[in-house]
Amino acid sequence: MHLTQDLELFPEYTVTQLLFKDVKNATELRKMAVNGEIKGALINPSMVVDAFQILVAANKAVHLHKSGKMKTRSLYSEIIFNLSPTNNISEAFKRFGISDSDSAVLIVLVHNKDETLNIDNIISKVDGQQIAVDRVSDLNDVAKIKKLYKVAPQEEKCGSLLDAVVCRMATKDVA
Amino acid sequence: MAHSDSVKASVPSYLKEAQMIKQGAEARVYRGTFLGRSVIIKERFPKLYRHPEVDEKLTRRRTTQEVRSILRCRRAGISAPVVYFVDYTTHCIFLEDIIHSVSVRDHIASAQASEQNPQHLQTLADKIGEILAQMHDEDVIHGDLTTSNMLLVSGAEDQNMKLVLIDFGLSYISALPEDKGVDLYVLEKAFLSTHPRTETLFERLLKSYSASSKKSSAVIKKLDEVRLRGRKRSMVG
Repeated sequence: MHLTQDLELFPEYTVTQLLFKDVKNATELRKMAVNGEIKGALINPSMVVDAFQILVAANKAVHLHKSGKMKTRSLYSEIIFNLSPTNNISEAFKRFGISDSDSAVLIVLVHNKDETLNIDNIISKVDGQQIAVDRVSDLNDVAKIKKLYKVAPQEEKCGSLLDAVVCRMATKDVA
Repeated sequence: MAHSDSVKASVPSYLKEAQMIKQGAEARVYRGTFLGRSVIIKERFPKLYRHPEVDEKLTRRRTTQEVRSILRCRRAGISAPVVYFVDYTTHCIFLEDIIHSVSVRDHIASAQASEQNPQHLQTLADKIGEILAQMHDEDVIHGDLTTSNMLLVSGAEDQNMKLVLIDFGLSYISALPEDKGVDLYVLEKAFLSTHPRTETLFERLLKSYSASSKKSSAVIKKLDEVRLRGRKRSMVG
């Protein structure tokens, strides 16, 4: 159910995503992310079009982390920041991170390929139901995504919403 | 500096494994896999014949202009490859791989060779004129318009044919009819020299451009002026 993808540019790294709905303990989960009990990025699935969007953010985060050029303080906060179409860090956390009242969460983990990741440990910490990551479209808000990323109907003539979102994420440093 | 070595190692060692498909004076183009998808990687390698500082500045500018122009085109609904990732340290752009496509250059060449379906090429000329009009209306100057820099996606034929513009390395933003006229002039020169006996086809392209663009008359006027310049041309006012 969880989704794993190797980063071809950084062969030692792998990205694992887990998606949960009907989450009742968002407040605790946030605390665990902050104190390091959960070593991952907690993302609001309403802003996620597809797992690929997360991978693009994670790839860029790892790249900047390795070159010492991150804009935020940690790899996980950088992933959240990279999802945002703007360069305002606190706005990114607000829109893409989870809040205490959220009932769905997407957890992103970046780890060594060889590290045996204790996924069950993380799953046990979430009071909610795990669903397949490719079902994120059940939980997202397309209208909200289009509004935040400022995607006009004419752009959809040349590609999907995912294309529009990913392109902005990749080019926001110079746009 | 082991830290920076490991960074420099990532993209270049990745490129070593990737398949190089073209080497130009400016960049090398590879095909590879990125996050599970097929991608094209455009690497602007360092030019040793240039002064290093100048090279770095120029290469960085070319990379950012390319990426900016692609986004600007896409926002307006003009097909260009999606940018997935830009590495500003090695000046590599990771782009969507437009699979199942053929360059307009190859397409026209084979259509002429098999001598079938002249109507089909007429529609192609119409579509090219249309897409360039849209691009110029967005004030994007491509800078290197040739039929090799346009891809025709196979599948949808005739009215539904899809054109994708590529290689925005020399592109910039400008509202001036002069710049748009020059853009078309570059295409005209490339078109007529690459594809013999296509004068009427190019005429049709320009007609379609005029019909599709809101600001075309000034641009065509400039195109006529530009044609009168250049080699072996009388500059008698």
